[in-house]
Amino acid sequence: MAQDTNGVKDAGPWIAAANPTYTVLIDEKHVVSKLYNMVNVPTGVWIDEHGKIVRPNEVAFVDDRFKNFTGLDSAPYLNALGDWVEKGSRSAYVMNEARLREKLAVNNPDVLLAAAEFGLAENLYKSGHLAEAIPHFKEAQRLNPKSWNYKRQAYALSNAQRDYGTTFNEEVQKAGGSKVYYAHPDLSPSPPKDQKP
Amino acid sequence: MKNRSRVCFFLLFLAMPCLSLPSRATVATIIYDDKATLVSTAELSRDQLWVTTADLKLATGFELKPQGVCRDELCFPLSGSRKQELTRKNAGTMWFNLTGFARLVNQPIAHDPELAVWYFGLRSDQRQGLAALQAPDFTLADRNGKSHSLSEFRGKRVLLLTWASW
Repeated sequence: MAQDTNGVKDAGPWIAAANPTYTVLIDEKHVVSKLYNMVNVPTGVWIDEHGKIVRPNEVAFVDDRFKNFTGLDSAPYLNALGDWVEKGSRSAYVMNEARLREKLAVNNPDVLLAAAEFGLAENLYKSGHLAEAIPHFKEAQRLNPKSWNYKRQAYALSNAQRDYGTTFNEEVQKAGGSKVYYAHPDLSPSPPKDQKP
Repeated sequence: MKNRSRVCFFLLFLAMPCLSLPSRATVATIIYDDKATLVSTAELSRDQLWVTTADLKLATGFELKPQGVCRDELCFPLSGSRKQELTRKNAGTMWFNLTGFARLVNQPIAHDPELAVWYFGLRSDQRQGLAALQAPDFTLADRNGKSHSLSEFRGKRVLLLTWASW
């Protein structure tokens, strides 16, 4: 799911180059990030056969091309993913409901309003009003400071230094550097479920 | 007696702005469920956006029905006092308070006064799925414009993965 305001223009060449065998969709209104309260890319969610979320919103690198920047090894995530593919609901990486709810920022009023400000900003940008969009992009960033999507997408649509007084790299440094910028996925296996005789 | 009537007159004068409903006509762009609609006959009254029920249907798909504000199977009932608060009839035209309705359904609103654009976010009903740990459904196009919905993958395990070019 490409979170790209400029849609196929920006995301298309990457998809063409990857020539994927799986489904790749283009989300120019960041609908998926809004519906699932996601704050960065790449973010992974596991959904079971019944449409139920079994692992939500976590950093999900499926290869090591950004390892030098993030310090994140993709192997533990891929290992957990393989375990789920093999064992389904019996996988130790399927989260219990208490942990799932904790990780999904459901009904946080600031997060909801931030998504509306971001949606408005995107719409203004697309109708040729970048200058008017910037205050709304900033308001989205203020209301949901955890969202890197709101920063990164807005910076990519203009001159970040000129319009936001910062850059992506500066923001990463402020957050403690690239090695801690991505919260590492919590891949500690759940304790085995109680087996009933 | 004379003084008293002067006080009453003064109070009445103060109350005037409360009794009347000062409103001004505006053109509004309404973004609802991520679809933008230009409405040429909206009214702004004390920061509330009023639209005709015809424009309500056009911009949001919702209609005023005896059972409430409805779209297909979805209906938000309106009690007597709510109905009074959210609707009014003027010269044969029915008007609906869209921003008041948004508050009723816990829907965030972002507004740009200069360009008269209103963005309505996710209503409470659109957030129930996530709260119940059911993966919210969506429909998006691939690179070739072909639409796919998450619900088409029911019966399979799905890894939903976001990325971006930026």
